[in-house]
Amino acid sequence: MAATKQVHLDTPAPSRSTAKDWQARVGRALLWLGVIIAVVWTLFPFIWAVRTSFMTQVEALSPVFIPWVQFTPTLANWDAELNLGGRETFLALRNSVIIAVGATVVACTIGTLTGYALGRFQYKIGNSNIISWVMSQRFMPPIATLIPIFIVIQTLKLLDTHLGMIIVNTTFVIPFAILIMRDFFADFPDEIEEAAVVDGASPWQVFWRVALPLATPALTAAAIICFAFAWNEFLFASVLATREAKPYTYLVASTSTARGVHFPYLATRMMIAITLPVLLSLFVQRYIVRGLTFGAVKG
Amino acid sequence: MYRKNRMGLLFLLPGVIWILAFTIFPLLYSLALSFTDRQLARPTSGQFIGFENYSKVFQGIASSVIDTRSEQGQAFFGAGASAVDVRVGETIPTTIFLTLGSTLLTLLLGTGIAWLFNHDFAGLRIFRSVMTMPLFAAPVALGFMGLILFNEQSGIINTVIKAVTGGQWVPWFSQPWPARTAVLLLDTWQWTPFVFVVVLAAMQSIPTELYEAARLDTRNSWQLFSRITLPLILPALGTIGMLRLVETFKILDIPLSMLGGGPGSATQTYSYYAYQVGLKNFQMGYGSALGYVLVIVCIIISTLYFRRMRSRYDQPKQG
Repeated sequence: MAATKQVHLDTPAPSRSTAKDWQARVGRALLWLGVIIAVVWTLFPFIWAVRTSFMTQVEALSPVFIPWVQFTPTLANWDAELNLGGRETFLALRNSVIIAVGATVVACTIGTLTGYALGRFQYKIGNSNIISWVMSQRFMPPIATLIPIFIVIQTLKLLDTHLGMIIVNTTFVIPFAILIMRDFFADFPDEIEEAAVVDGASPWQVFWRVALPLATPALTAAAIICFAFAWNEFLFASVLATREAKPYTYLVASTSTARGVHFPYLATRMMIAITLPVLLSLFVQRYIVRGLTFGAVKG
Repeated sequence: MYRKNRMGLLFLLPGVIWILAFTIFPLLYSLALSFTDRQLARPTSGQFIGFENYSKVFQGIASSVIDTRSEQGQAFFGAGASAVDVRVGETIPTTIFLTLGSTLLTLLLGTGIAWLFNHDFAGLRIFRSVMTMPLFAAPVALGFMGLILFNEQSGIINTVIKAVTGGQWVPWFSQPWPARTAVLLLDTWQWTPFVFVVVLAAMQSIPTELYEAARLDTRNSWQLFSRITLPLILPALGTIGMLRLVETFKILDIPLSMLGGGPGSATQTYSYYAYQVGLKNFQMGYGSALGYVLVIVCIIISTLYFRRMRSRYDQPKQG
């Protein structure tokens, strides 16, 4: 978004009367009000969850929210989840990290190569045909592939293993990696690489020494988006990894039955589940639009 | 440039192999399974049974409009009326409500917010980043957020409603339509930012000169929006509308973690039911058929989507 043109819809035109001036000010105030409402609407659920995670159950049931004035914040819930909940939480978080990082590394490695191929070379089958197959992964309902993938993973004896989960999550996030990298390389001027070719570099050397180092920002964004989506994956985990390799999302989903509705506890688990991807997303703003629409809309 | 170089194939190969192995192959496998009576625990299962699963799915879907116990139902479904899987039918109103409701609401709210942000304010970029945070929160965890916010006795939403109406409250978890609405609101909350950032990008690509020229005629914001902004962002709106449709067909995490599909089966979506049939009850043949009906719907939508972007992707150098 760095180099976007802001449209000056509300820039006051050279005004002839103070009435018009006044009108522009009201308009501006209303716009600000709208923006504030939108931001509060977006942030409120997060704030409410944070508030609840620092309370006791009794406090959580009342509509208070100002810390130290209306209630005394307690770390008990976080302590219970991270220290007393101990091994189970730790293992699930560790699994989530292993699976999400593993899937990100595989998806970005393959995705960079494929993205470079689609952004640089012309194929007989038609590049757009290849890309529609890539995207079909995001369009098809996961329900339809869940059963066969379960059978495949079971046949490969990879049920409840990190490797099985990494394969599955790579499959989900690889379209993001391929399309973000494809867009980067397609926009990237030919001349730099041509210079290297003139110097006698092989296509691989051009890719590895010239194109790839320049692609670091796009690659970082692709990695963060892949990581976030792999971290958030729940459906396949609930079928393929329910014990040893169980990720945190699955642990979260199995909470309510075990403990009943204990608000602060739910809020704490929720915050642990969402904090990392949500914070990472703040670094990929420039790539969100293209990444999530698969390049259909330029951002 | 070396556009037709053989090396090109080597760059492409790993990705193509991966997608063939883990996307295309499972889809074909699933198609094959959908014509069998495969069940996990029964070794003798897996016989070819033709379109039996599909007729079961379509009868089930039909039962959402024709009551199997009524006279018409007896006439329509014949002798098998009592064997119709009415639970499929029960998911249809929920699925349609959530899919259309969430798509329309997110488009409307997202466009509105994008219009607000398409003004020259200081600090808007920070707010814009904040606005996209919900997109990256795990839907399963959002079910918990729903439990906290919508709780019938002491949730903040009912507390506010009670204060405003003087004691009345909404049975978010115990009545079907309020429960569906709660799921709808959570999904809308999560995905409005997506529409927002995309539409904002589309708005910002409109040349400023167009507005300058139009401002000679009118300074009415609504006219500027409806005559210039809206027509020019329509293609983007169409694109995200399609994306949102296929995405919402898949809703399952939020109702599952929030209410377990309840009350009764009120928040059980079609995807959720297919998941239960295939992977909790392990009727894999029937589950695959349920999934494949959804695949067909998604193929129709995605074909329209790909047609829009075909020209853009046909040449490697087209940004």
